[in-house]
Amino acid sequence: MGIPLRNFGRTEQKVSALGMGGHHLGDAADEKTAITLVQQAVDGGITFFDNCWEYHIGKSEIWMGKGLKGRRDKVFLMTKVCTHGREAALAMTMLEQSLRRLQTDHLDLWQIHGVAFDNDPDLFTRPNGAAEAMRKAKEQGKVRFVGFTGHKDPAIHLKMLATGFPFDSVQMPLNAFDYHFHSFEQQVLPELVKRGIAPLGMKPISGHGDAVKQGVITPEESLRYAMSLPVAVTITGMEKPEILRQNLQLAQNFQPMSSAEMQALRDRLKPVSGDGRYELYKVSLKFDNPEARLAHEFPLDTQQSEVKEMLKATENSGKPFPKSA
Amino acid sequence: MNQLNRRDFISRAALVTAGITASNVLAQSGSGSPQSPTHGPVPMRPFGSSGTQVSALGLGGYHLGSASSQQEATEIVSRAMDAGVNFFDNCWEYHDGESEERLGQALKGRRQHAFVMTKVCTHGRDKATAMRQLEQSLRRLHTDYLDLWQIHEVVYYNDPDLIFAPNGAAEALADAKRQGKVRHVGFTGHKDPAIHLKMLSHDFPFDSVQMPLNCLDATYRSFETQVLPEAARRGIAVLGMKSFGGSGEIIVGGAATPHEALRYAMSLPVTTTISGIDSLDVLEQNLAIASNFKPMSAAEMQSLRERCRYLAGDGRYELFKSTKKYDGKEGREQHKYPSSTELPA
Repeated sequence: MGIPLRNFGRTEQKVSALGMGGHHLGDAADEKTAITLVQQAVDGGITFFDNCWEYHIGKSEIWMGKGLKGRRDKVFLMTKVCTHGREAALAMTMLEQSLRRLQTDHLDLWQIHGVAFDNDPDLFTRPNGAAEAMRKAKEQGKVRFVGFTGHKDPAIHLKMLATGFPFDSVQMPLNAFDYHFHSFEQQVLPELVKRGIAPLGMKPISGHGDAVKQGVITPEESLRYAMSLPVAVTITGMEKPEILRQNLQLAQNFQPMSSAEMQALRDRLKPVSGDGRYELYKVSLKFDNPEARLAHEFPLDTQQSEVKEMLKATENSGKPFPKSA
Repeated sequence: MNQLNRRDFISRAALVTAGITASNVLAQSGSGSPQSPTHGPVPMRPFGSSGTQVSALGLGGYHLGSASSQQEATEIVSRAMDAGVNFFDNCWEYHDGESEERLGQALKGRRQHAFVMTKVCTHGRDKATAMRQLEQSLRRLHTDYLDLWQIHEVVYYNDPDLIFAPNGAAEALADAKRQGKVRHVGFTGHKDPAIHLKMLSHDFPFDSVQMPLNCLDATYRSFETQVLPEAARRGIAVLGMKSFGGSGEIIVGGAATPHEALRYAMSLPVTTTISGIDSLDVLEQNLAIASNFKPMSAAEMQSLRERCRYLAGDGRYELFKSTKKYDGKEGREQHKYPSSTELPA
């Protein structure tokens, strides 16, 4: 049994309704596990693969590239570029690096990662900004479609859309908590549907497991709600075989929620949605990408896992030529 | 299944390189590396003005000690020689002598067809120490002469002073040459162009100088822009190393393909590019690149430098320059520095 396929915006391209998130792939136990996860995801009907230049400083792309070896033609491969306001040439450098790590000569989708600050749209469209790189990469055939992502604020998404740049897709957090707090579902999703831009949902379990752990919502409810929205794909992280198995099963047996069911769930969650406690990516600096904070000259949190990764990469091993594991 | 862990963005992740198999990544198929099974011999180049010809690709000695066994090391050496490689790098301190032993074993019967280099590891100690190490290296390598003997790992600011002090290592180089135990002499280091220039300022008749040369070096603490022209001007043979970043960091990180990285290094005005090879897969890949070698145009080289500029700028893929990770234990001990494991990144 396969996973339902949906249209990627107004194009003829089809993508699986469930997508595999790249960040969590880098949290897999080891490389072998990650490769198997990717292979089993493809075999289970997932065609949409998410990634990003800065996830685990490259490990996520490297592992996904290995997992997709021999299966590249079966999937719709996306990664993101982390200029965070910086120039077009840097975007092209990152693109080339992503292609090499992913062991491919083209991407199906290339997105601007983590649009999170008020000046990001202006920096994107400035002369010599990343918008020029997106046009160039498309012309060169290195990417088929382009888009942007962000988890922070619907207003910034709308400002990106207002630049008039011809985005093929927009990625955003979509879950049952979002509806009542800085809502992408209410503010951004209708605009995308109107324009025929492919909406890509992420954080169906709201980015952090607290709500599930506290019994506020089940994983099944979470994923089913997110997939019932008018989106091309719902991207979710699956770093363990049992999580992949569970999600494949949910997606393969997916029946959309009725409007009434969706409204009932929103209403049930309304009392705990209004302060963003289960959507910390919208409110907490802890979810800002360090690469984005650096580019904007905001200070870094040295306790953040991504910052620790950056520093640990150069950790002294005491051996002159460290042999990779 | 633990939904909290699964969603925990603050969860601690493993070291990025953990789990990445070097040989598996370094031997990349596709990505522009030529896969032609048939190719000509590796090109030869003159070693300075000596009249000796050496192969444009040299076999690194450290990685020979990292290969799985003597048998694999022997196969690597034998296959490399069959393809035209005659330049063999080594060092007294690599794997506590294992690298020299393995090369000596592998070269049995073919010594006269090889250009054998090893390095001396006085790290500031006297001439007698150097000569003792030379005898030991000769024994391990099963030979009575070296084609090239170099001072290893000149990476600390006082190294040139110690090497050129009375009764220092420079005198050992001159003596060994006079005694016919070594044909040529030189020095190596991976740390700082300024230290290389300080060595060269002594006007000692070095036949060779070894340094990191790769497509990221050009825009970060650059040996290519600071040392290479000076060596070329003086007719000193330049030996390039770390074309992939020392342990493949440039390739694993996706900064460049093996084909781009090796071709760039070989396109510089160098005598040889020494490549660390610890498996037959990596050997075949690099032999294919070297055998079909066509130099990059100046424009191609510039475009690759520019593409790599941002990735080069903080030294993340040239850890031998930016961190203590590649500084050998022996050298640190002799300089009375703590072991690099005791230091932060």
